[in-house]
Amino acid sequence: MTITEIVLRLHANSYYFFAIILFIIGFHTMLTHNNLIKKVIGMNIMDMAIFLFFVAIGYVRGGRSPILEPGVNHTFINPLPSALILTGIVVAVSVTAYALSLIVKLYKHYGTIDAEEIMRIRGGGSL
Amino acid sequence: MNFSQHLPALIVVVPLFFAFLMPLLARWRKQWCVPVTLGAIIFSFLAALKMVFQVMSTGPFSYYMGDWPPPWGIELSIDYLAVFAALTVTGVGLLIIWYGSKDLLHELKSEVIGWYYTLYLLLIASMVGIVITNDIFNMFVFLEICAIASCGIISIKESRDCIEAAFKYLVLSVLGSGAFLLAAAMLYMVTGHLNFTFMAEALPEAMALYPNNLLVALGLLIVGLGVKAALFPLHVWLPDAHSSAPSPSSAVLSGLVIKVYAVAMIRLLYLVFPRELLGLAPVMDMILGMSTLAIIIGSMFAIVQDDIKKMLAYSSIAQIGYVFLGVGLMSESALVGGILHIFNHAMMKSMLFLAAGAFIYGTGARKLSELKGVGHTMPIPTIAFCIGAFAMVGIPITSGFISKWYLALGALDVGRPFFTAVILISSLLNGIYYLPIVVNAFFSKTEEVVPEPEKLPKQMLVPLALLSFGVILFGVYPSLILGIVYRAAQLLLGL
Amino acid sequence: MEDVIVRYVSRFILPFVQLYGLYVVLHGHLSPGGGFSGGAVIGASMILYALSFNLAAGSKKLSHDVSSILESSGALIFAGMGLISILLGANFLANRAAGFPLGTPGNLFSSGSIAIITFGVGIKVASTMITLFYSLIEEEDHSHDHH
Repeated sequence: MTITEIVLRLHANSYYFFAIILFIIGFHTMLTHNNLIKKVIGMNIMDMAIFLFFVAIGYVRGGRSPILEPGVNHTFINPLPSALILTGIVVAVSVTAYALSLIVKLYKHYGTIDAEEIMRIRGGGSL
Repeated sequence: MNFSQHLPALIVVVPLFFAFLMPLLARWRKQWCVPVTLGAIIFSFLAALKMVFQVMSTGPFSYYMGDWPPPWGIELSIDYLAVFAALTVTGVGLLIIWYGSKDLLHELKSEVIGWYYTLYLLLIASMVGIVITNDIFNMFVFLEICAIASCGIISIKESRDCIEAAFKYLVLSVLGSGAFLLAAAMLYMVTGHLNFTFMAEALPEAMALYPNNLLVALGLLIVGLGVKAALFPLHVWLPDAHSSAPSPSSAVLSGLVIKVYAVAMIRLLYLVFPRELLGLAPVMDMILGMSTLAIIIGSMFAIVQDDIKKMLAYSSIAQIGYVFLGVGLMSESALVGGILHIFNHAMMKSMLFLAAGAFIYGTGARKLSELKGVGHTMPIPTIAFCIGAFAMVGIPITSGFISKWYLALGALDVGRPFFTAVILISSLLNGIYYLPIVVNAFFSKTEEVVPEPEKLPKQMLVPLALLSFGVILFGVYPSLILGIVYRAAQLLLGL
Repeated sequence: MEDVIVRYVSRFILPFVQLYGLYVVLHGHLSPGGGFSGGAVIGASMILYALSFNLAAGSKKLSHDVSSILESSGALIFAGMGLISILLGANFLANRAAGFPLGTPGNLFSSGSIAIITFGVGIKVASTMITLFYSLIEEEDHSHDHH
């Protein structure tokens, strides 16, 4: 496949492509940064990338937002992914709140929120 | 109004309802917390029993939430595997919280005990929900509730180790759920359905058009559910999390929570994905490889541990390898062995963790070197620990022998005697780290004078006795439970 | 944050914010929004009150007892509507099949049990946001009182 074919294909699926790039950015942040709050932010970016992927599935070209008005007949976009992701966003918010409260407790116990410092104070992590 | 036709919905809703009522009770009527919790879980257990009898006599049935038929509504499908797992979860969960009603008063601060029952009821409701649902997004919601509740019951103890272990578990668990949701998005993208039966019908033609999409979805599902079920390379959160939690939490996490994710993976691999897809990529071979490594390496790590709970946690990693070995071999006997091992290990491992908790309650000792001679002063937990240890090794007349026997027969059926050798070697390794504890507990005198241990209340002794009786009963009469497991395996393999 | 301008403006804006949140919750079946987003707006209004005045005034307006009753009752309304539909003869959480009054679509009082469930979800999400905010902000010597 030539370069122009690849670029055209990526442009046609641009939402999915950017969702995967965001997923990789979030995953990399979660793995490599030492600060615990940055890990939580990376987790959030990763979740939002997955939600973007899911919502972009429902798009119908030329469709309008799915609100029914009496007497109007038009193509609507698929409302199901948006409804599912509303639940997903609430779950992500709850998990973020819980993770942040765990970080507050860790700070009270160890005095630092750097993951490597915590492993060093603990005396070499676990296997 | 026919009450019993609504049991599939009520088995999940009743614990949820009382979970939301529990914070109010903990504030104003503290003495009602324990009876209400026990009553809700007894109701779920009786509902699961009634559904077992109904499924064995008339066959699998399904329940439509909101009276909306399947492609539009959420369907709960009660088949043999679902009702078997629901019975395991509610039965063992009931015994664990009965034990915990006295043990938690020693381990947690008094303000947070009401919250523990809330989290426990949410955990039981979400685990039953994962096994009986037939809709992939409903399974994702229950997966997340289970993840938050299980991290909650670890970190409620508020000591240094358990907060850190809960944080590690939470981050890896969210990674697993994210991978699961991405797999659900990919499956929805090519089939347009969220219901398992409709997806299974639409997948063969989608596979001809989009094979790469389905392979990525399969890979993401195995990684996502594998992180949560602690399959070998993805197990790193388990030793810290299960060893630093309070004893009832360790028991329910090791015995029930990681198994439920294995049941979810069984349902997805066998009932949704078409068989030809499993031939395109060597999925079953990878699962077999990972489970073999889990069995051998988990046992080897357990041998060198000194803390009793950490040793039991590493042993859990090895035992979940047995379940996945049964899944990967794909013969009828192996699948029967794997599914039966879910039930057996739930009983055995819970009993071991509860006995370890009884040791810690009585003498405060966690290290194996400090537990010498404890059999003379605390006979009942030590006998329970010994029965559990024999069952883990696989000595006949205990139920552990039955599931290993079926797994070994299944490996020979498919023509791969290598895995039979793996099972025998791992039984030997299990013996190396369990039997010294048994010998030390009964047959060695203590060197220094130990204080008389605290007397165990009867709420802690009766569950131990019931679980050990159950292990021996299902070892001597396995046909009591094998009927439903056989039919589950036949339904999954499509025979 | 004890600035005169912030206090004056927030005291002026708060009723409008809460009215907007209530509108989003109650029109959940007609326009985008529903329980989660409307509840988040109402919760944000109480957080604005606690931020612009100090925390003691905020927790006096909505004490910990009241917010835990609201939190539990929001979820119990949801489960209760499902159980009511079992009592009325249909499956769990049924709407038309259980005989709830459905008006013409497009009116405010249509769609049966959906409006009541959305209201329950709205008050639960609002009280959860407030509880999370107070738990994360309070100092440690206060946190033992409120459990």
